[in-house]
Amino acid sequence: MNTNTRDTSPSTQTRRGAVASILLSCALAATSAGAAPPAPAPKLSATCAACHGQDGNSGIPMFPKIAGQQEDYIVKQLRDFQSGRRKSNVMAPVVATLSVDDMMSLAQYYSKQKVKPTPTGQKQSVAFGKLVYVDGDEETGLPACIGCHKASGSGHLLYPRIGGQHAQYVAQQLKSFATGDRANDVSHFMRVAAKRMTEEELQSVADYLAGLDEK
Amino acid sequence: MKNLPALLLMATLSPGVSLAEAPAWNEIKGELKTALGTKGDPVRGQALFEPCTGCHRADASGRTSGAYPRLSGQHQSVLIKQIADIRSGKRSNPKMELFADEHVLNAYEIADIAVYLNALPIHATNGKGPGKAVARGEEIYSGNCVKCHGDEGEGDAEKFYPMVAAQHFKYLLRELKMIRDGDRKNANPEMVKVVKAYNDHDLEAVADYMSNFGPPKKPEAAAPEAPEVPETPAAPPATP
Repeated sequence: MNTNTRDTSPSTQTRRGAVASILLSCALAATSAGAAPPAPAPKLSATCAACHGQDGNSGIPMFPKIAGQQEDYIVKQLRDFQSGRRKSNVMAPVVATLSVDDMMSLAQYYSKQKVKPTPTGQKQSVAFGKLVYVDGDEETGLPACIGCHKASGSGHLLYPRIGGQHAQYVAQQLKSFATGDRANDVSHFMRVAAKRMTEEELQSVADYLAGLDEK
Repeated sequence: MKNLPALLLMATLSPGVSLAEAPAWNEIKGELKTALGTKGDPVRGQALFEPCTGCHRADASGRTSGAYPRLSGQHQSVLIKQIADIRSGKRSNPKMELFADEHVLNAYEIADIAVYLNALPIHATNGKGPGKAVARGEEIYSGNCVKCHGDEGEGDAEKFYPMVAAQHFKYLLRELKMIRDGDRKNANPEMVKVVKAYNDHDLEAVADYMSNFGPPKKPEAAAPEAPEVPETPAAPPATP
């Protein structure tokens, strides 16, 4: 196997070393008996923590929680931010120099954290949001969210966890899909679905998800 | 489905299919031909069907409200033809077409979904009619519909005739009206002629009757024809 000539800068080599040591320590932790200590955060995660929180539970509603997010989904979003497929003036400069290995180690770390729901307390809205989440809207042809994102809101593979997410962030992303400002859903599915949501459905689903706790 | 190659061959050799004539409702060409000639992969089909479960439910039983049809156990040929017709615009379906277009599926993947759905068990009860005019419905069905859709509503895979058994009453009624009124343009012209003779009450009666068929006793996906699970795992869907 030939050496990787793509990127041999010292900083990347250092990061690769860091990734390797993290993976090694994970492996060691997994083999020891009893409660394994939590995997140490990758060094790069200090940057992420400023907005997303140390354990991926952002305390600022406009920034998404990434704790417990699907590993594959995190990698895809980081790659999309880097390539410009997903546009964000905040994320673009942060991810610019990340290697695929960096992305994978960050994704692995945050996917293993536990999301902490932040219920909005809007009881009526939550009840209606649950209906929409489970049944969609037969009148408008809005598919039920449950199909891909699952009853627990966990998602899987490339379908993201949305359970426990900040209501403000969910509502804002749905609006971005509806207008096409966010267009990195390969199948166009979310753009079509979000466009079919009424303002009330959108806010209610967001309220429901904010308090959805993993079972 | 073992008869698909034969069906394809028949259609290719049939003297009835001629460029000089208007395209037949069941003309096999384009991606319909591609998908019919493809051995679908049920594992891949299951993954591809996941977004569809938002409407058709996780077990593909549809909705008893009739808003979305049952798909489980339906003939592969019927599923492939309907998806292909919706994609080509022959069948108008504004709610579904954007979720089944070229951004979502290719012709080979239509075959994957069809083989997966065909093998699903037909469980969960369907939406039934009010039961007020079942005798009238039986009269109409046995005089007209039975020739194509069968004694048990099993349909005919080789001729693209759908299984109507276990389908939801309100879906059956809505589609009957659309076929009669020319709003479902990919229908068999022979069927359009037949249903044109009936008013809303008649169509309700026959949909009521059909909704009481249980799952067919000889489903197409009986054990010998059940799709084989491939040895190598299928790739995840490219386009969630």
